[in-house]
This record gives sequence, structure tokens and C-alpha cells, in this order.
Amino acid sequence: MNSTTTKKTTSGTKEGPIRCIFFCEFHHTAGPIISCQIPENYISKELFDSISVYIITKAELQKSTITITLEDYKVLGFPVKIDNKNYARNAFYFNLCFVCDSDARTVQYESVVMKFSEYLTSMEVESSFLSSGKSNAKLSPILRKVLEDLNTRGECALTEGPIATHLKVCQIRSDPDAVLDHQVPVFVKELPPHQWDLTTQQVTPYIDGFNHIARIAALSDVDNNLVKACVQNLVYYGVVSLVPLFQYGNIYSTTPKLRSLAHDTDLQKRCLQEVARSHRQNPNLRDVFRTYSAMTRGTTIKDLCTRFNMTNLKINERKLVQFGMLEGLIRRVHKYPIVLGESAGLQKVFTGNFNVDEICCATGVTSQQLEEKLERDQNVILLWK
Amino acid sequence: MEVSPLCVILVKSDSKGDRLLFRYPFQNCENKEILNKSRRNPYTLPIVEDLLQSPTVSSSNISKGVLVGFSDEVLSSLFAVKPDLSNRKFELKVNDVRFVSHPTSLQLRNKQSHKDESGLMLINIVFSLSALASHSVVKCYHDLSERIGIILRHEEKRRGYVSEQTQTMMAAHDDGYTNNNGSAFRVILEKCTLANNIKKLYEDLCSSGLVSIRLNRWIPFSFCLPQKAHQWHLRGKIVEPEDIDRCLLALRPYHSLLLLYPVEHLVDFTALDGSPSLVRMLSQYSPMKNLQTLAADSDLTLSHVFQLTAHLVYWAKATVIFPVCSKNKYVIAPNASIHLNSPLMEKYSMSFKGGNLMRALNEFSLPTSLGQKTNPLCYPSQQSALVKSIIWMLQHHLLVQLHTYIQYMPTGNGLSTSRSFKKYLKTPSPRTSSVLSTSFPEPSRTESESGASTVSEAPDFMRNFNLENVSFTSTEDDKQEYQEELLLDFPDDERSQIFKIPATNTPEDLKLFARLCRKGYFQGSHHVEEIMYLENLRRSQLLQLLDKFRDVLVTYETEDPAIAMFSSSCS
Repeated sequence: MNSTTTKKTTSGTKEGPIRCIFFCEFHHTAGPIISCQIPENYISKELFDSISVYIITKAELQKSTITITLEDYKVLGFPVKIDNKNYARNAFYFNLCFVCDSDARTVQYESVVMKFSEYLTSMEVESSFLSSGKSNAKLSPILRKVLEDLNTRGECALTEGPIATHLKVCQIRSDPDAVLDHQVPVFVKELPPHQWDLTTQQVTPYIDGFNHIARIAALSDVDNNLVKACVQNLVYYGVVSLVPLFQYGNIYSTTPKLRSLAHDTDLQKRCLQEVARSHRQNPNLRDVFRTYSAMTRGTTIKDLCTRFNMTNLKINERKLVQFGMLEGLIRRVHKYPIVLGESAGLQKVFTGNFNVDEICCATGVTSQQLEEKLERDQNVILLWK
Repeated sequence: MEVSPLCVILVKSDSKGDRLLFRYPFQNCENKEILNKSRRNPYTLPIVEDLLQSPTVSSSNISKGVLVGFSDEVLSSLFAVKPDLSNRKFELKVNDVRFVSHPTSLQLRNKQSHKDESGLMLINIVFSLSALASHSVVKCYHDLSERIGIILRHEEKRRGYVSEQTQTMMAAHDDGYTNNNGSAFRVILEKCTLANNIKKLYEDLCSSGLVSIRLNRWIPFSFCLPQKAHQWHLRGKIVEPEDIDRCLLALRPYHSLLLLYPVEHLVDFTALDGSPSLVRMLSQYSPMKNLQTLAADSDLTLSHVFQLTAHLVYWAKATVIFPVCSKNKYVIAPNASIHLNSPLMEKYSMSFKGGNLMRALNEFSLPTSLGQKTNPLCYPSQQSALVKSIIWMLQHHLLVQLHTYIQYMPTGNGLSTSRSFKKYLKTPSPRTSSVLSTSFPEPSRTESESGASTVSEAPDFMRNFNLENVSFTSTEDDKQEYQEELLLDFPDDERSQIFKIPATNTPEDLKLFARLCRKGYFQGSHHVEEIMYLENLRRSQLLQLLDKFRDVLVTYETEDPAIAMFSSSCS
């Protein structure tokens, strides 16, 4: 509709609105024609003629989603052919196409176009809705409604007529990574008040930003794999983010993003509210920044707590680490034990593929015990990265 | 994986109609599919038809990395585009396959006299990719198709190459009609150089992303697909051309070039028509030299060395580092893929006479500099071995360098709300006003904020300070006033914080602090080495200053984001 709804996505291409919807059919004498277009004359006759081969296609390409990118437009269609002896050429060919800007992403509309085409197909089969002539007059209110509703609300219900259908634009996101036992889910926004499934209902009360997956599974009495699937689902919807387990022996290091904390006032405000010990008093930005800056390889959180008095600074160190991880200001430095020479027993996992957290979680040893063991073992070296 | 082409297709369209001339790979999987279908379990229950839902059609045209489900006729009708669409980018997505090309129309040589349609031919080299391929990948393939189109047009004009090749291909198709579908393609591959070129093109794109072919045995054609070419040294990370551009924009004279291959291996890269200056630069190459020295040694301009560096980086032959020196702090790269079964282990012990990579890396678990690891009693040979080992690990992206960044935090709330320094000066005495107005000219302010200070300006600046110095240190009571005025353009609250620091009593320190602060070096975007380079300071001078003003300056160590794209996880 308007260009203000256009926003940039990470992939470099834009999310764009639908500019035009047209319905095109194969006329038994005139060939491919646009019989209804909203808004009128958005796609010129000449342009349509040059791309009609991709819209009214050969039989092999029926029922495929076809997107043709032109200099100014992107046309997304789903060619359909209905075989019936009653038609002039024993078949009725049509295609309902969405037109977007040429640099817009259109994957999210593919399923909508498909469903809409199927809706029209069944209308046609039921009542010859499309082929009985005057399709322009009948179709244009429907197309207009779909265009407006999808662009403004992202969904549209077509309830008039004998058949009803509901169209909804679903954003296609990339698949989230597998969730691991030792990771900690944190809510990054409020859980939408949907009717969530039973597992999610049982699991979410235990997501407090400090419990790790294995612990949540134990507390909520839900199978470990179900918890993982549930959390992965929440990650997909951007409700939850995963951070590594917090321990006072952990080591973190700063990233180049820390600079933004000094310059982004919005980030500062959120940070101070988040890391405060109590709601009444926010800590001092310089103290927070200094604490983050002091996170280097070799400095554990315990060391930091003894060096700076966190209570005096009014900083909650757990929240500090959590916020830093979520915003990417700091990064966890993991320890990877590696055995040199012969390996036996537990040492078999010291290959450099697994870090201390993973090993502890899998074997049920506390990290303190494990580290003492590693310290004593001359054959094992620890790589920090 | 999604970067490699699924198939390369050659289609022509002329007055005699359209035809798919060649595609590679052409081995069809259809026969196997039929086999699979026949082996279906006879005891399975037929699925009850759902009458309410239309049957879902399988909508994938990729099987095992090969394009399936399109007949040659369909492909040729799709890619024999209408004249309106020729000579511009063509992009078509069908289900999960994306076709990219640049349809090129050319005038046939032997029909040049006819100015009608019959002398025109449209030739289209289409790359089919997975639909997941990103925008930039599509752009690169379009560029590739366009460039081949240009060469073909030229070769047609020169020798009638395209008409000759297409005729051979058509003849092979007509002969092979009676036989199996694949055989015609096999004959074409034997007879036609163009088909061979396409085969080589496909294989190069799939293996290394670096294409090097010779069209019509005459025109050398080389192309780099950066998203693929960088895979060999950065596994699993897709390097976009924009990333490289960003890195190259951040190139500074103090950076240095690190070749990923031994120099001798680059000989064939610089062969024949290569730029002689590239050869000259490589002859002077050392990872210990910065680009400025390299430019001076090879007698090239700095900007030209930048361009050559950019070229080498784009072609995945080199990366950019800060030159190896004794003060550099290194740590293990966060995404270094290091485990006991890694092939790098063996490679390392081959290069360093049985050295153990894990032990060598372990030294860098904590930030460690070369200087810390060597002592004056060390043999020079030991030190050079260490340097070699560090360079080896940098080449394999196992190490990253940490730099110290400085953030100016004058008050508890960070920077004052009016981020830039106060512009107005409170009515100064006539004596100082002239000094101030000359010493802090307005242009220098904008200069420093953009972070790009030029050397030419610095002496000017210094001179003003010196003048000032002479006039002010004469009397004691003037001193306090002078300090106040030195920081006049700082907001009041910041100034009062700064004056709590005892070092402000030393005019030199305060002057240096004020200068660096005004130039915007303390905004976290310049690391210590960069400030040293730009301001011609010694490390000890700067570190002392940072220590003295540590109440308002917070330092932190992290990698240089400008050149870190090749080594770290910051994505």
C-alpha cells in the first residue's frame, strides 16, 4: 500500500507489500489475457505479452509456484489447468498472480497464492464462477479485498459465496539451531497470550533465565527432548533466546559491539534497568561499562565480584552477564579439554569437540570437580576460545 | 552448498525457433526414479483420498543436487525469452529452483548483410541454483552469464564461433534423436569446445568457485564466486562480496597483507596478462611489512597497493592482518575448528618438524604477545620459528589479534547528552581569544569526528600548541586559568570531573589528553595502534596517558571489527 510498511531485513532484500493482483486466463481465441487487474493497468499489455509464457505455462509447469523477476516488478503466480469437456479447448487455464517490487522478498506469499488459486479452482468447479463470463465484475471486489487486507493486516477471510477460505501471510524464518542440554532459555519478549500446547504450558513457568534445559526438564517433569523441541519452537518465534549457563567460574570476553553501549542511549537505558539490583536504584553507566570492559580471558566472574564490589555498584552480576550475552556485548569463552597421548575413560571425550559445559552436563559431574581433575592430569591441556 | 549451480543450460533462439543446445550435467536420474517406484511395498495400504483437500503435488525440482522434473523442451521454451527481455537480467524461480541468466542477442556473422530478423540469434547461458541462494549469489551468476555473453558476441563477430558451434550441436541433436536422450549430449561434449567450456565452468564453480577457462581457445576468461571461493579457508562461512568491500574500505596503511598460499604458488595466478605491478608487489611481500612499507619497497603508490590487496583478498588468495610485531596480543579464534582429528594437526606437524598444534595453540589460551614469549636470552632462530608458527596459525584463522580500545566516560552517566563538545566559548579575555580561535579551528572539529584525520593538519595544530605553551607557562597563576581554557569546549560537568585527576596539573599530559579527545580517538572506534600511527605517538606515551586518565577513560580489549570478518564469529 504505502512505502512506510517496507522494512529492511537481514538478507539484504526488503519485505515489501503486494503492489497488484491480477487474474489471467487463456482465452480460446485471444490467447493469454488479463481479465481482471487491481489496480487497473498496473501491468501493461506489452509487458504481459512478453512474460505470458511464464504465466500461462506448458502442462509440465502446472501447479508450480513461478516467480519471474523483471526490472521493476516481481510476478508470482501458480498456473492452474482444469480439464473438462465443456470448455472450448477442453480445458480452462488460469493463473492468479501477485505483483511486488523487484527487490522485495516474495517467499511468504507463495503459500497464499497457492491457497487462493485453489479457492478459485473449487469455485470454478462448483459453479463455473470464472468461466461463465463477467469474471471481471465478480472478481474485482474479491481481489481488492485480498490486496487491501493482506497489505494492512496480513490476513484475509473470504466468506462470501458457497465456499469460505482464510488467507494469511506467514513469515518464513530460517530454522533455529538445535537446543543443547546446557543452554539456558531467556524470555526476550512476553509470551504471546495464545493457547499454547500442553508441553509449552508446562515448561514456560520454569524458564526464568537461569535454569538450563536439563534442569527445566527435571523440574517440569517433561521429557528432555520435548523440552528441547518446545524451546526450539519458542526460539523460532523469537520469544526466547538461548544463553550459556551462568556460573561464577565462567569467563567472558568483550566483543566489538561493546562500543554501542557507550553511544546508544536507548541501549543504555535498557541495560541499566535490566542489570540493577533493585528497581529503586539504577547503577551507574560508567560502572557497568567498566565491569564489562574488565571481562577478559582469564578473569572469572568470581574475580570480578571480588575486584569490584557488586553490591556497592548496585549491579546484579547474573543479570549483567545475561544482558551482555543477549545483546552480544560479551561472549562466553569456553574451555575445551584436549587429551594428548593415550585416552581412557572420561578422557575419550576430550577431543576438542566438546567444551567443559557440555561434558559436565552429559556426565553429571560438577564443573568444579571436572576442572580439578583436569588440573591434575598432565596429559590434558585446556584450550580457551 | 546452496551456492553451487545445479545445472548450466545453453539455449538458443533464432528465426528457426528455440532449442536447448546443451546442459551440464546431463546424466538423467529419471530412470532410477522409475526403479524406485516399482520397488514399492505391495502390502502398504492405499491412502484414503481426502476429497476436501486437493492432492498436494511434490514441488521440489532438486534431487541429490541435480535439477530434475523439467524436459528439455520446457527449459528451452522458458529460456528463449521474448526480445523485450533480452540483454538484461533474467531471473525465474520455479518451485525451489532459481534460474539466472543474461540473455544476449547477437548478429550472426554470415548473415550480416541481411538486416532482418533472420540474422539475429539469442543465446542464453542459464545457471540453475537452489532458490535459497541469496541475492548476492544471484547477482554474481548474472554477472558471469553476462560476461560470457559478451565474449560469445565478440567471437561470433570475429570468427563466426557461435554459428559454427550451434550448428554442430543441432546436428548432433538431430542425429541422436533416434538414440537415448543423453547420447546426443555426449557427442556434443566430444565435438564442441563451447560444451567443454560449459563443463569446465560447472566443475570449477562446484569445486573451488574460481573459474579459469579459455573460450574458443582464444579468450581467457576468469571469474571468482566469492561466496564459494572463500570456503576453502573459512569452512561453513559464506563470505559476501559486501563483507569484502567493507573490509577493504577499512584498509589502512598500517595493515599488512597475509598471503594464504606460499608466494611461489601464486605464479600461475599472475600469469601472462597479469598486472606487472602485482608481480612486483609479491616479490617484496612479507607479512611483517605494513602496506605503506610494501608500497615503498615495491615502488608503487599506496592506493595501487590497496587495489592489489583488494584483488588478492577478493580472489581468496590473501587476507588482511595487523603486521606481526612483538607487542601484538593473540588469542585463539572463537570459531577455530580444532579437534584431535582435524587435518590441521598433521599439516602443522609437517610444517614444523613434528610440532604439536595443540600445544602451540594452548599458549594462546590467554592473550599472549610475541614479546611475552621471547626473552633476550632466546636464540634468534627460536624467535623466528615462533613468528612462523604464529603466521601459520593466522593463515589458518586459528588466532585473532586483540586490540585495546578506549572509551571516554567522563561522568557516571557516560557521555553528556550533548554528545559533541560545546560550540560556544564563554567570553574569553582578548589575549586568549586569538589563541583559541587559531588553535581549535572549526574544520578540525569535523575532521576529527569523522575519524579521518590527515597528517597535513597535525603540524599546524602542534605549532599552535607550542605557541600557546610559550605564552602561558611564564607565570604560575596563569597556569590554572590556562588549563581551564584548554578544556573550554568540554561541557562543564565533564570538565569538573577531568580536573579531579591529578595528572591535569601536568600541562603536557592535559594537552595530549585534550588533543586526542577532541580528535575523537576515545570513542571506541580507534585502537591504540591506530592512534599511535595517526598521531605519531610512542606506545609508552599513550599507555601512560591512559593510565593517568583511567578515571575517565575505560579501556577494553577486543578484535578489530574491520578485519575480523575473516577470523572471528562476529557476524
